Amino acid sequence: MEIVQILAFGILMGGVYALLSSGVTLIFGVLDVVNVAQGSFLVFSALLTWQIWDLTGIEPLLLIPVMGALMAFFGWIIYRGLVKRVVPQGPGMTVLLMFGVAIAMEGILNIAFGNKFKSVTPPYFTQSLQIGELVLPYPQLISGVMAAIVLVGLFFYLKLSWAGRALRASAQNKDGAALVGISSIKASSLAFAIGAMTAGVGGVLLIIMYPIYPATQYDWIAKLLGIIVLGGMGSIPGAVIASMILGISEAFAQAYIPQWSAAIFFGVILVVLLFRPEGLLGEKTREDVTT
Amino acid sequence: MSALKRPANVVGAVLILLLFLYPLVGSDTRYFESVLIVCMLYAIMASGWNIISGLAGYVSLGHSVYLYIGMYTGAILGKMWGVPPMYLMVLGGVVAAAIAVVVGFITLRTRSHSFVIITIAVLLLFMTVAQNWKSLTGGTDGFIVKQPEWNKDNPTTPYYYTFLGLMVLTVALVAFIMRSRLGAGLVAIRNDEGKAASIGVNTTLYKVTAYALSAVPFGFAGAVYAQYLGFVTPTTALAILMSVFLVLAALVGGRGTLWGPVIGGFLVWGANEASTVLAGEFSARLLIMGVILILTVMFMPAGLLPTISRFVHRRKSQGSAVAFIDQASIAQTSDVAIDSIVARTGQSTDPAVPELEVKGIVKRFGGVTAVDGVSMTVERGSITGLIGPNGSGKTTLFNCMTGTFQPDEGAVILNGEDITRQKVWTRAHEGLGRTFQITRLFKSMTVLDNLVAPLEKTSVRELVAGRYSGEEVDRAREVLDFMGLAQFEGQEAAALSFGQQKLVELAQVLMLRPSIILLDEPASGINPTLIEKLASVIRRLNDAGTTVLIVEHNIPLVLSLCDRVHVLAEGQVLISGTPDEIRNDPQVIEAYLGPDHMLEVNDV
Repeated sequence: MEIVQILAFGILMGGVYALLSSGVTLIFGVLDVVNVAQGSFLVFSALLTWQIWDLTGIEPLLLIPVMGALMAFFGWIIYRGLVKRVVPQGPGMTVLLMFGVAIAMEGILNIAFGNKFKSVTPPYFTQSLQIGELVLPYPQLISGVMAAIVLVGLFFYLKLSWAGRALRASAQNKDGAALVGISSIKASSLAFAIGAMTAGVGGVLLIIMYPIYPATQYDWIAKLLGIIVLGGMGSIPGAVIASMILGISEAFAQAYIPQWSAAIFFGVILVVLLFRPEGLLGEKTREDVTT
Repeated sequence: MSALKRPANVVGAVLILLLFLYPLVGSDTRYFESVLIVCMLYAIMASGWNIISGLAGYVSLGHSVYLYIGMYTGAILGKMWGVPPMYLMVLGGVVAAAIAVVVGFITLRTRSHSFVIITIAVLLLFMTVAQNWKSLTGGTDGFIVKQPEWNKDNPTTPYYYTFLGLMVLTVALVAFIMRSRLGAGLVAIRNDEGKAASIGVNTTLYKVTAYALSAVPFGFAGAVYAQYLGFVTPTTALAILMSVFLVLAALVGGRGTLWGPVIGGFLVWGANEASTVLAGEFSARLLIMGVILILTVMFMPAGLLPTISRFVHRRKSQGSAVAFIDQASIAQTSDVAIDSIVARTGQSTDPAVPELEVKGIVKRFGGVTAVDGVSMTVERGSITGLIGPNGSGKTTLFNCMTGTFQPDEGAVILNGEDITRQKVWTRAHEGLGRTFQITRLFKSMTVLDNLVAPLEKTSVRELVAGRYSGEEVDRAREVLDFMGLAQFEGQEAAALSFGQQKLVELAQVLMLRPSIILLDEPASGINPTLIEKLASVIRRLNDAGTTVLIVEHNIPLVLSLCDRVHVLAEGQVLISGTPDEIRNDPQVIEAYLGPDHMLEVNDV
């Protein structure tokens, strides 16, 4: 029973990771940009949620669409204003740019919210759902389920809508997509906005589970980056699988050897990369035709 | 060229001299010494980072981990042995390099994006270990390090000079690497990694070596820094911030340059110190540094030194337009002794063994079988053609031969030896040279640099040898002369026309004295004069004993040059034969034009 309990925990958390990392991997797939600022986007959304909740006492889950839309807009601005201009200089420089964005945002958040833990505690914060012997705390349960819903929505959006097909086309071959009328700038803006949107939604989900302060962005970005490397850069299914691996291995580590949980995940990544440098579902591309 | 002729070297030398004199002539130097110590620390770290991220182009965001490794090595061993950590700085360097080799071997096989990420992960992983392995590291509290007798009054000057010494050594190390063939190879990797492998650069070895070397100055400095601070604690946020600072320092100064990271270290830490005085608080400094990083990336991506030198150059070169040489003049081949160009020693020349043979090659991409069981031979001393319609699998087969792809089934045999599992660069050393359909020269390097970048073999002696050690340069000039390209020696490769680039690429391949050259559509996209020129070069190389395999759509060229032609269609060999046989074969016409055209062709 204990195992089932731990598994359930791991899967719920894995769902949240999957939502967050799919945003990072989508941006990478379409733009070749590693958004190392996703952690600070996340913390930004979480702290803003806290602020609104603190002032109004509103049910935080109602803020999911608001924060999603807000962060999508924020991501769009960051792309149009900064990223677009640096993309031609190659992935090394865009990483440094996003690193700068992350650091600057942390500085601003520190000044605005103070360097203290903040948490949102709605009434169900301490309650749990009991199914037989299985105990699922509501914050984890709600977050996991909401993340899954948004992720499934995102998946169908990418699969079925014209914009989604355009994004996937652009991710595979920018020039080819441009030839059939898909503006790579528009596709990139959309990808960046969706990526930031996942951070917006994720921020709300996180702050009902964990206390957050600006420097926690490092913990989150480290996990998210680990996930997308493990899953294979640019692969959303890969990110989902890797998220589950992280969620479950963390849950087990938490239960038995709590202080080593982060180390175990990174250890797994290094071992996998030793055998599959391209990640679990990453693809080796045909270099000769893409250059 | 004298080292002092370059202005940046003069600036660097003056900086070091001033730093050396400051404690001797200044009064009440304690505060500024302590600021300058950190400046020098950042100069050391930024220079070390420059080896892997500036020269080889693999950006590391977690490099401060090696400073912490140096700090912990010094502090832990110092505690165990009762020695001040500073005396153990060599060990700090050794341990940092050893860990970097392991990390590098795992991470550098991934492509550049993953590498960036893994470097952050390694930093966080190390910090987690340091925070939790309490018996060894003292956990999150860290521990106080052993201090020597002379440290009682907390002097700064001994540390000041130690860091100055380390900084000079680091600059010397970077200068040495930049002048060595290792450095040339790293720049080649930054320009085009796949191409570098194809001309014999063992890219994995190069990258891991560069990564390990880049960790060494961190390890040294770490042991000294631990003692200077008096304690070690694993504070993740500080370690990350340190990585930001050192990356920023290298970027601001100019990554890939010798002195840029040093100057950058002083500028960035100086700015940080100033903003501490002005803005005070930690958060404000974060914000300021973040904004500086964003601005640098957006408006001065090359860094300060390159930006200044470009500005100076532009002013100097006004009026002296680059001389463009007309195509006709390269069309003449000089009469350099061809034998010295192609001579290859230590290889069997048994005519019964084919130069290159493939057996039953199958290569699938997802559901598409691009090459479906191809067997063919390239006879020694022949010019063999490989033709076929688009999508018939020519380039894929080519890539299986050169090692860019591993075939799913089948074997590639070079000169009687199975090379199916060999790396691209090993094949290059074994005598298999290739050119690319779309040229892949190292665009930012000169023509001469492009030619000396290939390595005949991989050995320590070869790696540390000077980039322009006499023999290579002589040979490069000889090859350029042979190709009629001598006048382009000092030009940047990007300045040449596409056709000229194709000739340079062929010259580059000749540097390795290949026994067989694989030419991927040599005639596509170049003008008829150059095609003539190319054909004559190919014939001369072949007369001197070099085997040639050509993939080409220019059928007249192939039929006029080749002794034997293989025709591929839909991933299989359709027919092999002499040019005459191929010309008149109805199957070939059908393969190219489709069955519907058969009637028309026959009608004519």
